[in-house]
Amino acid sequence: MWYHKPTINEELLQSLPNLKVVASSGVGIDHLDLKLLSSHGVKVANNPFIVSTDTADLGMALMLASARRLVEGHEMAVSPVTEYFPADWLGVEVSGATLGIVGMGAIGYKVAERAKAFEMKILYHNRNQRKKEEESAVGAVYCKKIDDLLQQSDFVLLAVNLTPQTRKLIGKRELELMKPTATLINISRGLVVDQDALVEALQNKVIKAAALDVTYPEPLPRDHPLLKMKNVIITPHIGSATKKTRWIMMEEMTESIEAGLAGLPIPREVL
Amino acid sequence: GPGLKVISTLSVGFDHLALDEIKKRGIRVGYTPDVLTDATAELSVALLLSACRRLPEAAEQVKSGGWTTWKPLWMCGYGLSDSTVGIIGLGRIGQAVARRLKPFGVRKFLYTGSGPKPESAAEFGAEFVPLTRLAEESDFVLVTCALTPATQGMCNKDFFGRMKKTSVFVNTSRGAVVNQEDLYNALASGQIAAAGLDVTTPEPLPTDHPLLSLKNCVILPHIGSATYATRSTMAVLAANNLLAGLRGEPMPHELKL
Repeated sequence: MWYHKPTINEELLQSLPNLKVVASSGVGIDHLDLKLLSSHGVKVANNPFIVSTDTADLGMALMLASARRLVEGHEMAVSPVTEYFPADWLGVEVSGATLGIVGMGAIGYKVAERAKAFEMKILYHNRNQRKKEEESAVGAVYCKKIDDLLQQSDFVLLAVNLTPQTRKLIGKRELELMKPTATLINISRGLVVDQDALVEALQNKVIKAAALDVTYPEPLPRDHPLLKMKNVIITPHIGSATKKTRWIMMEEMTESIEAGLAGLPIPREVL
Repeated sequence: GPGLKVISTLSVGFDHLALDEIKKRGIRVGYTPDVLTDATAELSVALLLSACRRLPEAAEQVKSGGWTTWKPLWMCGYGLSDSTVGIIGLGRIGQAVARRLKPFGVRKFLYTGSGPKPESAAEFGAEFVPLTRLAEESDFVLVTCALTPATQGMCNKDFFGRMKKTSVFVNTSRGAVVNQEDLYNALASGQIAAAGLDVTTPEPLPTDHPLLSLKNCVILPHIGSATYATRSTMAVLAANNLLAGLRGEPMPHELKL
């Protein structure tokens, strides 16, 4: 299945008695009821690693685009009403700033590797602390309490998976702990953020800006306030959107399905 | 006027100065190298990522309602993993760009310029190649050279004709390094995949300029060094250059004429 369609529920599974394997695109499986699938004897596979690099690249792209006001700048440069470029039109630097990564898994770590080259100071919050060698390779400092990360970061990047524990991980309290000059970047799942609280925080200048590849729902309704804010960049869930990666995802999914149908061990099975 | 003693430019580029005339009149010139290197390199990478991942286009689809059902190959761009990056002008900014791109999984760095720079290139294992080879082999081309008689119009029909159909071209140097008509043709015909320009000729482009109509061309309003921190530093430096010049003292950063 691509993205999260079709919706897999009891009704669908009842109508597909011979269903053996569901291959789900990407790494996220929050849209799947694993218990339900298991109870029908259906196995599940995903693409756990191939999406990491492109998604990390997009995380960096969003952070840079937000800091340097790229979307706004492009609009100004191509606008028919622009007569000259104002000399005092400025952004802020990513280089040397503090990045707080919430969720230091495969994707989070790749973001850290990229951010290090911009001489960013890297903080991270994770269920478990990473090995010392992994930390020192990117100069990342562990924040056992998310509060410490939120208070010190200029950019907060979310790279957790969506679970009952991470749902609304970033709410009103967390946003208020962030610096008023900070930017929230979300490449995880829309539901990790209390979206209404985010709208309020942006409107009241509790935080400075947001850059989101994911929202809830996707797409947002046409009249949603997030679509109208100058300091918000939203991309249509394109984290893994390169032809090369999408082809590999298709190959991986096909391979998993073929193995499942043949009764063989399934590569990338979600257990 | 005849009383002009000092020119202090708020830039590292000096292509806008008639250096022969200035030298003849014994006028001193101050400029702002180094302090804007990081901001400009960062903007070059930001522009590259925005162009190869189609950020403005995608953001516009979100706002316009073009994002309806999700399709696997919709809005796909190009990844940097395993790519070859060609840098035209491995100076301060070019090196800072390479440093930032390295962890994106770039397999190979190529560079070109007036001559090889082995000490600078060593950090990235970058290979010095002729312009033609750089065009032919690069997946991403970044122009970070100075504008000189030698580089004027360097990126032209022949250059774009050699580039890959899947390649992305980024210019954060000066507009005049690029033949804009040739760039337009290359983009419109699919000869190259996308471009990102922080600089054009003129700035801004006239409202009916064909480059403005291209979905695969990201254009920025010359914001390479446009951050609060960097512009403040540049401003102070430019002021100090000017004051030193007026006092007949050594400048913090004087351009050797």
